[in-house]
Amino acid sequence: MNAESQVDSDLADLIGKPTGKSKVVLERGPVAYFALAVGDKSPIYQDTRAAEAAGFPGIPVPPTFAFAWDTWGKFPEIQPEDDIPQGSAVGAVVGSLMSKGGTILHGEQEFIYHKPVYVGDVLVGEGKVVDAYRKESKGHVMTFVVTEMVWRDDKTGDPVVTSRSNIIHRL
Amino acid sequence: MVANEQQVLYFDDVKEGDQAPVKKHRITRTDMVRYAGASGDYMPMHHDEVFAKSIGQPSVFGHGMYSMGLLGAAITDWVGKTALTKYKVRFSSQTWPDEELRTEVIVKGKLVEGERHLVDLDCKLLNADGDVKVIGEAQAELPIR
Repeated sequence: MNAESQVDSDLADLIGKPTGKSKVVLERGPVAYFALAVGDKSPIYQDTRAAEAAGFPGIPVPPTFAFAWDTWGKFPEIQPEDDIPQGSAVGAVVGSLMSKGGTILHGEQEFIYHKPVYVGDVLVGEGKVVDAYRKESKGHVMTFVVTEMVWRDDKTGDPVVTSRSNIIHRL
Repeated sequence: MVANEQQVLYFDDVKEGDQAPVKKHRITRTDMVRYAGASGDYMPMHHDEVFAKSIGQPSVFGHGMYSMGLLGAAITDWVGKTALTKYKVRFSSQTWPDEELRTEVIVKGKLVEGERHLVDLDCKLLNADGDVKVIGEAQAELPIR
């Protein structure tokens, strides 16, 4: 097998591979600060009274906070048992691509919101690779890896947010 | 003092072609650093000018997710903070310090699925020259009168 078809076969093997599990607590301070950092000054994210006055059962979270929340409330003592080292399947492929040089880009991002989440909620996420492919464009070899993380409410098991990221390696 | 500034947007009052209020913001290096801290994304090309230049960039540039966040704020300001059912973007180009960014959110269509009243939106973040930074679509579920 030549090097190129080896890459294609590694990419095909990647589809369906788990990328790990994560459990997070949605904390108030990070939510309030994140809202300001994306230019949203609404008092709903800052003040429980404003959130209640607007009819919410608690402080909601900005729509893109789902991409950042495991920076904050991912405490070690609550992490689920996981026999898959986090991101290892993707990490190995990206590592092998980067060994040839090139740049990693975030090409696309998608969120599907199944149910609103609020400060204090505890969520469990489980990720996998949903697509991986390669194409040539304008003299560059572009490798695309699409990962999906499904976040569920820890109490009810209901899905709350699905996050899909298209990561591109451009050589 | 707590003001209830959230005005409810009703499905009945929205029609194809309607546009959300435009949000404008001149992006600064401080915004990039604040977003790095708020998100935990410390990729150096977003805060370290020396590093950014060493990889051939003219300066630091904004996080793609900052652009998506800014555009998201314009959308949820209009449709409501918990109204979104979908939000998807493609990152088209980088944002640079001192660029004036503006949002463009337009109603593409309306649909009723059972009990649910949904509005499809086309959304973009552009600079003053009209260069597209992120482009995508969103869907919101709205209440009826």
